[in-house]
Order: sequence, then C-alpha cells, then structure tokens
Amino acid sequence: MTANGWLQIAVFFALVLLTAKPLGLYMVRVYERQKTLLDPVLGPIERLLYRLTGIDANAEMRWTEYGAAMLIFSLATILLTYAIERLQGAISLLNPQHLAGVEPYLAWNTAVSFATNTNWQSYVPESTMSYLTQMVGLATHNFWSAAVGMALAIAFIRGISRRESKTLGNFWVDLTRGTLWVLLPISIVYALALVSQGVVQNLKPYDTVKVIEPQTVTSTGTDGKPVTTTISTQTIAQGPVASQEAIKMLGTNGGGFFNANSAHPFENPTPLSNLLQMLSIFLIPAAFTVALGKMVGSPGHGWAVFAAMTLLWFAGVATCYWAESQPNPLLHGVDQRVVQMGAAQSSGGNMEGKEVRFGIANSALFTTVTTDTSCGAVNNMHDSLMPLGGLVPLSNIHLGEIIFGGVGSGMFGMLIFVILTVFIAGLMVGRTPEYLGKKVEAFDVQMSMLYFLIFPIVILGFSAIAVLAPSFGTSSLSNHGPHGLSQILYAYTSAAGNNGSAFAGLNANTHWYNATLGITMLAGRFLMIVPMLAVAGNLATKKIAPPSLGTFPVNTPLFTSLLVGVIVIVGALTFFPALSLGPILEHLLLRSGVSFS
Amino acid sequence: MSDLIFIAASLVFFIVAVVYLYGCKSLKGGDDNA
Repeated sequence: MTANGWLQIAVFFALVLLTAKPLGLYMVRVYERQKTLLDPVLGPIERLLYRLTGIDANAEMRWTEYGAAMLIFSLATILLTYAIERLQGAISLLNPQHLAGVEPYLAWNTAVSFATNTNWQSYVPESTMSYLTQMVGLATHNFWSAAVGMALAIAFIRGISRRESKTLGNFWVDLTRGTLWVLLPISIVYALALVSQGVVQNLKPYDTVKVIEPQTVTSTGTDGKPVTTTISTQTIAQGPVASQEAIKMLGTNGGGFFNANSAHPFENPTPLSNLLQMLSIFLIPAAFTVALGKMVGSPGHGWAVFAAMTLLWFAGVATCYWAESQPNPLLHGVDQRVVQMGAAQSSGGNMEGKEVRFGIANSALFTTVTTDTSCGAVNNMHDSLMPLGGLVPLSNIHLGEIIFGGVGSGMFGMLIFVILTVFIAGLMVGRTPEYLGKKVEAFDVQMSMLYFLIFPIVILGFSAIAVLAPSFGTSSLSNHGPHGLSQILYAYTSAAGNNGSAFAGLNANTHWYNATLGITMLAGRFLMIVPMLAVAGNLATKKIAPPSLGTFPVNTPLFTSLLVGVIVIVGALTFFPALSLGPILEHLLLRSGVSFS
Repeated sequence: MSDLIFIAASLVFFIVAVVYLYGCKSLKGGDDNA
C-alpha cells in the first residue's frame, strides 16, 4: 500500500461526500414535484408522456397497486428485450456485423438480467449483440431498471414519512420523473465527459487492422493434428459505447459494451475516466441518504445511515487494497523477473488481471465500489484477486449490497436493516420498537425476515446443487478446490444480489447456468421487493408518535454502530460457512504452498 | 418451441409474484390501520 494510493481513495470519497447533498436535495424536489431548473424543458415532455400513455399523474397507489404496476412493467420490458435479441439477425438496422439472433437460453438470461438491474453477461457482447440490441434492448433497460429501483426507494421513504396514509405515490410518475429528471440529464453530460477521455461513440462497422508483429499460433485441429496459423490482422470493435457507459455506471447496472467491461480501453481509457466511473456508481446511492433525511424530517438520520455505509465501505476497501498489495506467496522469490514487492517499474503486489494504468489502489477501490452497490462493472478481473481480496466483493454482495448499494435498491435494503436494528434495540431495552415515531410490529418484522431469507435460500440452494452435479455444475469450472467453490458461489451471489460481476473462470453460458441464474436474478429482485413494499405500505398507515424518553434515537453514533453490527452479524451468520470453504480456505492453503488447477 | 417456453416461464413467474404479493397482503389481516 502506498500514500499515493490512499490519497486517491481519499479524493474519491471526498467527491462522494461533496456531491451527496446537492443531488439528494435535488432528488427530493423531483420526486415531491417541486420546482426545478429543468422544468421548462422536461415538464412538457413529462405531460406529453402522460397524455400518450393515459396515465393520471395525480392518482395515488396503495402498496399492492404500486407493486403490481412495477411487476407488469418489468414483465413487459423482459419480453420486449427477449424479442429484440431473438430477432436481431432478421433486422439489418444497426447490425453492421450481421450478427445472428441470440439463442433462446442466452436471450432469456440476458433479458432477465438487464430487467433486474443485474446485467450478468454470459456472452461476449461485441460478437453477440448488434448495435440495435445494445441500444434499444439493453441501454434502455439500464435506465428503466435503475428508475424502478429509485421509485421503490422513494416509495419506502414515503412509507416512513407519511402518516395514516394508504398510499405510497404513483409508480408511473416516479418511474418517469426518475428517468427524465435524474438519470437522463446526468447521463448526457457524463457521456460527453467520457467521450472527452477517449471512450468511443459511433455506429461504424468494426475496424480490421494489420498487427505490427504477426503471431504464429499452434492449435489442435478437428482431426487431432496440430494446426499452425499466422495471425496478421486484428478486429477492433466499435460502437455507441459512451452513451451506454454513462448509464451503465450511473444506474449501477454494470453490463459492459465489451466483454472486458471497464478494463477495456474504449470503455475506460484514463485514470480520470476511471475516477468518474467509480464516482458515478456511488453518486445516486449516496444522495439517497440525504433524500431520506430530508423526506423523513431528520437530516441527522440520513447522515447516520451514510456513516454506517461509509464504515462498511472503508473496511472493504482497506481489506481489498491490503490483500492485493501483498505478493503472491507462490510466485514471490521464484522468479526474479516477477516484481511483487514494489519497484521503480512496478507498483508491486498482485497485478495479475489488473490494468497497469489503474494499478492496485484503483483496482481494489473499483472492486469494492462495484460490489458495495449492485453495479458489477469491473476494471480488473475478480477471478485473479488474491483469496482475501476476492472475499471482499463476495462479502459486500452477501451483506445485501446496502453499502450505498444499488440505485434505490441499496436504500430500501438498508432501510429493512434499520427496521431490524430498531426491533433488536427495542428487544434489548424491553420496549415496543419505534422507528421515527412509528411502532414496528409483528407484520413489519415478518416481512423483513422474508426479505432476508429469500436471498440466502436462492444463493446457497442453487450453489449446493451445482457443486454436487459434475455433469452440469462443476463441469463449467476452470479451477477446482476452494477456488472452484468460490466461482460457483460468486455466480449465484452476483445473480441474487443483482450485481452482475463475475468471478470469471466459470463458463456460465450453459443451459443449466443460464436458466438457474435467470431464476436467481428474478427471485433476488422481485421476491425481495414485494415484502419490502409490504413493510413500506404498512408503515405508511401508522400514526407518528412524538419522541419520548423510551424512543431509540436513529441519528446518533450509537445507532450507526448498532446498525453496522446487525448488518455484519446477519451477513456472517448466513454466509460465513460457505465463505470459510471458499476464499478463506484458499487463503490458508495458498500460504501453505497449495494451489488448484 | 423454446421461445414459447421462455415466454411462458416469464409469465408464470410474474403471475406467481402477483399471487405472492397479495399473499403477503393477506398476512397483514383485515385492519389497514392496525
């Protein structure tokens, strides 16, 4: 670890802190339909959209109606994207590479993946998806799935702030306003900033160039005999990358235009573009804490939640940065050409799978940020992380992606933890738990527990089946032993958390993985949202009691500490056994000189 | 044929999700203001 590395991490966090408040207050104005600077431009567009779709913008919805509207919308977008993927081969528009239609298993997995804000990619985008599919099928989903998450978080906050109300707002209005007022304007400016850094934005066919030094490659032919080929040209993929990249990060979607994601020089060319990408992942989730404080009338509560998120973020980035700064014990000292302890020519540590232009600090920070949230974009390969470095992204997702979290989903996930924390605090002192003046009752806790239970059930259930099935589960692995377990566990964890990053090394483009990961993504999104909305709807109906001596304050360091404690304990109790057989065992074996191929 | 299976599977999941939603509501019982 270096002072320079820590300085860059500190600059990143300072920018998050600086942007959280103005954006959070702006978002409150947007969702509360107060005046904003963008009204003259966006107001007429919004009204036109309502007129065309027949939406009554003043109609309020109960939580069941809000949830049903969200489910219908998500189903429609899944079917639309599925159709576009399947038909892309028959549509010549924006398909200069003449790519064929996507096969059904993969098309369904991808449609579900983008609708759930997961953006898990079992395919190589530049050789599978046409520009039309990328722009109409996938990039639009990046806006929609993010706007859905933001709408749900706002609905939850309204549930807390409203008194004796049967409604949580209007899903269609929240969806529209989140897209028009928040995501679109920022994405436009952000995409132009990325273009200034060298991110490509065009609709050209791919370039073919001559390589400077032709390479001779020997492989095994279909008849089993060696075949020697000389490679003298290279295909360089192009496309409308910047416009997709902006919302990919801002909406914590994470699906790359290219297979290498944010490690690709056309997606993330410079240290500045890298900083912007990391900042944009935390931008809206951090602002949501300010919006929470403002809307519930307790700014201190918003900052207490922000502090809890910050503590967990710092623990993750410090661990990952430390782990990746260590030399690999199996390489260190074996070959003097492998510089692992830092030198004038090398930043030292584990540089496998990392871009030299980002180095250890910015790779560790990116890994932590992308898994604190539901983003899943990567600027380095997580499969190449040291075992304890890989433990960090896994644990971040296992905690529920509430460390700032996905846009909206991080906030409502954290608020469910707040409910649980308040409940436990109430039990500790023997009083009826209250959250900001609202009594937390049996139904709220039942629904919160349902929310918590679905997550491990799908992850551990499908992982267990895959581990026990050599024909369709472990046959996809590139490594066996504890690292292989980590690869499978990471895939289902990423899918259930709607993260989308991959440990790589696992070939997930099989019928089993495409189908089960799709189911996991759906369960991890929608089966968790429903009980969350039930809690929100129930809270909205309650009276707000004035604070008394017995009220547990939720704007103090004690609350923050208790909240962090509850999050860590719930996560550890649920996933530590699996983690101990994966990255932790791998770490211990690596120290003993054992590795697995 | 595969297309029909995946479209049907998506529909089934979301129908189950709506049933699940109203199932959660029924757990709450009668009084909305309880």
